[in-house]
Amino acid sequence: MIVLEEVLVHLHDVAIGYDVPLIEDINIEVFAGDVIAVLGPSGIGKTTLLRTIAGLVRPLEGDVELAVPSRGGLGYIPQRLGLVGNLTVRNNVEMGLRVGLSKWYPPFFPVPAKQHHYAERAMEDLGILHLADQPVRILSGGQQRRVATAKTVVQRPKLVLADEFLGELDDDNVEVVMRTVRSAIEAQNSAMIMVEHHEELARQVANRVWRIADGQLIEEVVR
Amino acid sequence: MNKRLLLVILGILALTGFVFIDLVGHLGRLSGGMSNLGVFFRESLWPPDWSVLEAQSYPVCEARFEFTCSVAWLGMVETIKIAFVATVFGFLVALPLSVMAASNLSPIEIAIPARIVLAGMRSLPSIIWAVLFMIIFDMGTLAGICAMSFYTVGYLGKLQFESMEGIKNAPLEAAKAMGMSRTETAWLVAIPESANQLLSHLLFMFEYNVRHGTVIGLVGAGGIGLYLNTYLKLAQYDKVVALLVVVFLVVVVIDFVSMVLRSAVTEEGDVERPSWSSLFLPGAISSALHPTPMNKSKPSDESE
Repeated sequence: MIVLEEVLVHLHDVAIGYDVPLIEDINIEVFAGDVIAVLGPSGIGKTTLLRTIAGLVRPLEGDVELAVPSRGGLGYIPQRLGLVGNLTVRNNVEMGLRVGLSKWYPPFFPVPAKQHHYAERAMEDLGILHLADQPVRILSGGQQRRVATAKTVVQRPKLVLADEFLGELDDDNVEVVMRTVRSAIEAQNSAMIMVEHHEELARQVANRVWRIADGQLIEEVVR
Repeated sequence: MNKRLLLVILGILALTGFVFIDLVGHLGRLSGGMSNLGVFFRESLWPPDWSVLEAQSYPVCEARFEFTCSVAWLGMVETIKIAFVATVFGFLVALPLSVMAASNLSPIEIAIPARIVLAGMRSLPSIIWAVLFMIIFDMGTLAGICAMSFYTVGYLGKLQFESMEGIKNAPLEAAKAMGMSRTETAWLVAIPESANQLLSHLLFMFEYNVRHGTVIGLVGAGGIGLYLNTYLKLAQYDKVVALLVVVFLVVVVIDFVSMVLRSAVTEEGDVERPSWSSLFLPGAISSALHPTPMNKSKPSDESE
């Protein structure tokens, strides 16, 4: 029996960058279940690659095809996390639930109570439930990273794009965060592309590695 | 300095002097001006006539405190009421307009018309709006409220859309990538993210409207300005001075309350709680006079 792998992202002859190409001739596919680490020195184009896949930057050449729902299908954790500092941890996490609702659900209505347990569960798993009613701006960097992770986990996206989101976490929290993200990815049969500076850590958590060097993206098989 | 630049500067100064003389006529008209002012001050302005703080003879005052039947109280309370209602009305209209005008929240084809509307409402001073609304509604507080509301929309809308454009990009990008609608992004990300500034602008606008209430009152749009206008027409300048002192004191109090409220909504430790001296003295001198616990250090790793 032939099992067809579900392709979530397909980049075809893509060149990325701002005016000047940073990476060219990108031809890659991302399959459901993949955890991909993107490695390379600073300024080489790792973040631009994620932003291009997220639809925030147009590719200079080629096509980016995403087979994920346009609403809620993509979870993006930018390098600076993208949290709303004045809102509480709970409000930020529930934003992930909101994109699972209709586009026409009024934004000034709270998320339906029957969905609250998803947020509670994610916050509990990530050890931030006791901070639920604190404004995000007063939290430490590590705590904020767990909030951003909880927000993405409750969203249940088909594709997670994370930009150095394991930075500032101690070893225990890296394990907790990755365990939570992995179980969410397995439950949804989704995929994750993460930019990571720590090669050793990246190789531990990823099943594929993309290395960027000299304007080219090279795939390394990990296991 | 470049010779040509020097010539240009001298030319501009000479032109300014020529136009000034052309406008004011011969300078002899200015002689004796200061002594005239001195006479006017001694004979008409000073001392202030504090009868504006006493109850009016008609209608008969039945209030517990007679002061509340005085011209100063009635006028000032009406001015504050007009300013309050106009600020809230203006804010309710300005908020959606500022979301539409912010280029990071709305497409350019919506942002430009919204900015034109705001600029149009701002370009007419509130006194002109007051005249226009007096033609529609006759003299009184309704014309004052409408005039102030219109001006508030234009002014507050501009401050607000600039605040929204100044918010960090990461939360907006995360919201866009997640697939949030524009309305959700505005309501759940942009407004909370700029909430401190929006509230600060709102309180500033209220202060501004209280101060401005005296001006639009001059054209009959209600409030303390109406009494000021009456006393000016009757040449009772000592009463005008007394009312201006009252306006000054009320504005100082509102300014202080506004500063306290603004400091309460700003990030913890970002703003020192104000003292009375901070209303009049530069920050450094005021801080030296009233030392307060210094800013707590912000988490080194904020959300942005």
